[in-house]
Amino acid sequence: MRFPKTFVEDIPRRKFLELGLKGGLALTATPQLLTQLLAGQGTSASPVKVGADSSLLNRTISKALEKGGDFAEVYIEKRISRTILMEESKFKSAVFGISQGAGVRVIAGEKTGYAYTDEIADDKLLRAAEVASTIARGSRASKPVDIRPARRKSFITIKLPLGEVAEAKRLDIIRRAHQAALDYDARIKMASINYYEEVRGRTIANSEGVLLSDELPLLFFVVQTLSVGNNTQHLGRERLSRHSGFEMFEEVTPEQVARACARESIAMLEAKDAPAGKLDVVMQNGWGGVLVHEAVGHPLEADNIAKKIGVFTGKLGQKVANPVFTMVDDGGHPQLPGTESFRNIPIPRMTNTFIDNGKERPEDILASTKSGLYVQSLSGGSVNPITGVFNFTCREAYLIENGKKTSPVKGATLIGNCLDIISNIDAVGNDLDFGPGICGKGQSAEVSAGQPTVRIRGINVGGTRAAR
Amino acid sequence: MDYKALSEELVKKCLKKGADAAEVYLESGRNLSLEIRNGEIETVEEAAAHGIGFRIFVEGRMAFASSNDFEASALDNTMSRAIEFARSTTSDENNVLPDEKTIQDVQGLFDPQTAAFALETKIEMAKKAERLAMKDPRITKSAGAAYREGEGEVVIANSRGILKSYKASVCSFGVSVVAEKGEQKSSGSESCARRFFADLKSPEEVAATAAKKAYDMLDPRPVKTQKAAVLFDPDVAGALLGGILGAINGERVLQGASFLAKRLNQKIASELMTIVDDGTRPKGLASSPFDGEGVSTQKRLIVEKGVLKGFLYNTIVGKRAGVGSTGNAARGGFTGLPDIGPHNFYLAAGTTSPEEIIRATKTGLLLKEVTGYGINPVNGNFSGGAAGFWIENGKIAYPVKGLTVAGTADDMFNGIDMVGNDLDLNRPRTAPMFRVKLLQIGGE
Repeated sequence: MRFPKTFVEDIPRRKFLELGLKGGLALTATPQLLTQLLAGQGTSASPVKVGADSSLLNRTISKALEKGGDFAEVYIEKRISRTILMEESKFKSAVFGISQGAGVRVIAGEKTGYAYTDEIADDKLLRAAEVASTIARGSRASKPVDIRPARRKSFITIKLPLGEVAEAKRLDIIRRAHQAALDYDARIKMASINYYEEVRGRTIANSEGVLLSDELPLLFFVVQTLSVGNNTQHLGRERLSRHSGFEMFEEVTPEQVARACARESIAMLEAKDAPAGKLDVVMQNGWGGVLVHEAVGHPLEADNIAKKIGVFTGKLGQKVANPVFTMVDDGGHPQLPGTESFRNIPIPRMTNTFIDNGKERPEDILASTKSGLYVQSLSGGSVNPITGVFNFTCREAYLIENGKKTSPVKGATLIGNCLDIISNIDAVGNDLDFGPGICGKGQSAEVSAGQPTVRIRGINVGGTRAAR
Repeated sequence: MDYKALSEELVKKCLKKGADAAEVYLESGRNLSLEIRNGEIETVEEAAAHGIGFRIFVEGRMAFASSNDFEASALDNTMSRAIEFARSTTSDENNVLPDEKTIQDVQGLFDPQTAAFALETKIEMAKKAERLAMKDPRITKSAGAAYREGEGEVVIANSRGILKSYKASVCSFGVSVVAEKGEQKSSGSESCARRFFADLKSPEEVAATAAKKAYDMLDPRPVKTQKAAVLFDPDVAGALLGGILGAINGERVLQGASFLAKRLNQKIASELMTIVDDGTRPKGLASSPFDGEGVSTQKRLIVEKGVLKGFLYNTIVGKRAGVGSTGNAARGGFTGLPDIGPHNFYLAAGTTSPEEIIRATKTGLLLKEVTGYGINPVNGNFSGGAAGFWIENGKIAYPVKGLTVAGTADDMFNGIDMVGNDLDLNRPRTAPMFRVKLLQIGGE
């Protein structure tokens, strides 16, 4: 359900979850704690000192269950972020953010109560607990809670902690990307480099006695290039994102990202009108996995299944797709954006979602497709999880003529029904790769999507001329 | 807390710490969200939040830092961060703050009564909308109903003497239902948002629309790939307006990343196309007395009878373009710099009734849903997924789904040959029904 957004709606929960006021048990946001976080110290030993405050957490959880309820949880987050934008050869802006907050959740049967506060103080947390508990009208006497630190396996390794990186190094990475983009071709008229990093400290304590803390770094590097020529223009985009330290830029250089972006911008200057109507589509490996993220992943998320309205309702154990199709969600994939050491947002959602490798060579899939559309990259897409109707928009696509990739075509929207699509995927390559994205499901979350090269028979393409 | 005094004080502190110019942007608000399903409360959320963003200028370099911790030491640290961060950016003569001190009043933005209505009344509204929407036998399941409200205050203070604030509120409720027939599933939802609680539509009206949207789309039929007239329902106004908004962003225009960059004062559309941006409309959901950096909002013609009349600017980009701010600095909250964005943005009403437009269409597609990115603001290409109704001989014949529509902004703008009189200004981005003579439709 969509509601108009206005600033007052922006401040509350959505913003809270999106921008992370979920505040760290940085509860005690003392300057020392802040300094530690900023310095990126203790990546495994969280800077969030819980011991001293576990009594407050215990009291908050007890308060939350005072009126009854089956489960209560306190989630506290502190996030420190930096955004630097270089555009038109200038460092245009630099944005620094510190946010913190705490959410209290109470579950009673099928009801959920939730309240949050961005002031992490005794009275505010207890007040949030009281508000969250209003949904519970039972008589169950609340038991005293005694939380104990627990551990979860971490999939994140950090070599160069973000907090220890000198500012000049960040600026250098951005400059290098900017230069490489402009150097790629004289028709690249503008480059825009957006660097984002954050370190998020989180603590979760619940009525089952679990107490977890961790710290998660995130890098999101986006290059956009504007090409002008051939009487048109194209804004290309390339992204690189990981839960990683600064070593990400040693593994994939800023020049590589910039050149990939510039290549797309130049290639698409030659784009012709896309065909309209049902076509066979071959999707290149990588971020094209947004196809399954939208078309299959969202409809599989349990919220709509539990309501018995999702398109996959009642289909557990049934054959729903072509046997060559296997899809995986893996929250433990090292460094990928959707990876977390524990899940933080209490809604069902994807992490790193991908179509698993098949056996075919990507070049054979293309060669065996007589005519159709070769989709090299996608902008993104969306789905109605109830009907299963999804759409996604091509960033870079080519005609397939006699088994060969030929002319580039303008960005077309593809539309279909998820059940049809997974039945009509008839070829799966052996070249699985991933791309990063931001998934918006009321709350935004970083995820990744992946796939090997696949072929889908007969999908509706929104072009501007009738297909042959 | 006296936020105005605090903001003014913080500006002074920034200067003392070494900023040449400074701006404090403060937001404070609370919200309530209730979700209902099958007659029971599913979630209740309540929250209050606030935050401050500091925009700092040192020798023409600009940086920004924000915090939601109002402790003096935290705010002190935040402004120091911004001043420090300004070392990393490039000096630019256009990096200035506005100094417009006019205090404009826009009526009807804040309803003190919303908060006073009992929680039970609000719960009952959502419950009733769900109950009524489920009454139709074709509706088989509820996807939930909701009520939300929020209110907040914005304060802006800067070192050029601006000190302004306003309060605003919004409340909304809606319902989403599913119609099923055999293996078919069709969903429909409707919501209503207003500044004032008393102005909300009745649950009866919202429920009936949601149910109709769901069952009307049962038993769709395929149509062939073809060119035909396309009628845009007010629900899909965004497919037209979204791309225009991206293309009239003053910064994108200066960068040449807009298909409208070189078209100022030229005819870009049919004479039936007049587009307005209005920040001053009383009770408007996107109205405010001043923009994201304190400049008074205006009512402006962006396109007048097909001629492109102007772009949207904030202070920095307006100075660079040599035209000044148009009061379109947009702020996505206290955590970021002012960008550029519209207020109440709409295609002005025509004189034809929607029924008349349908009657005048021999063969065509009435669009009720468009998915995808709409018009690409950089090159003007348009492509989207589509659903709606097929029109034959001036009558709605049957529902259609899984289609695509595509063309260029030129095709769309110049192809508009009928504009409805059914403009609903209670929506922030809106259009009456309008018809585009001919667009490519992708189907079987």
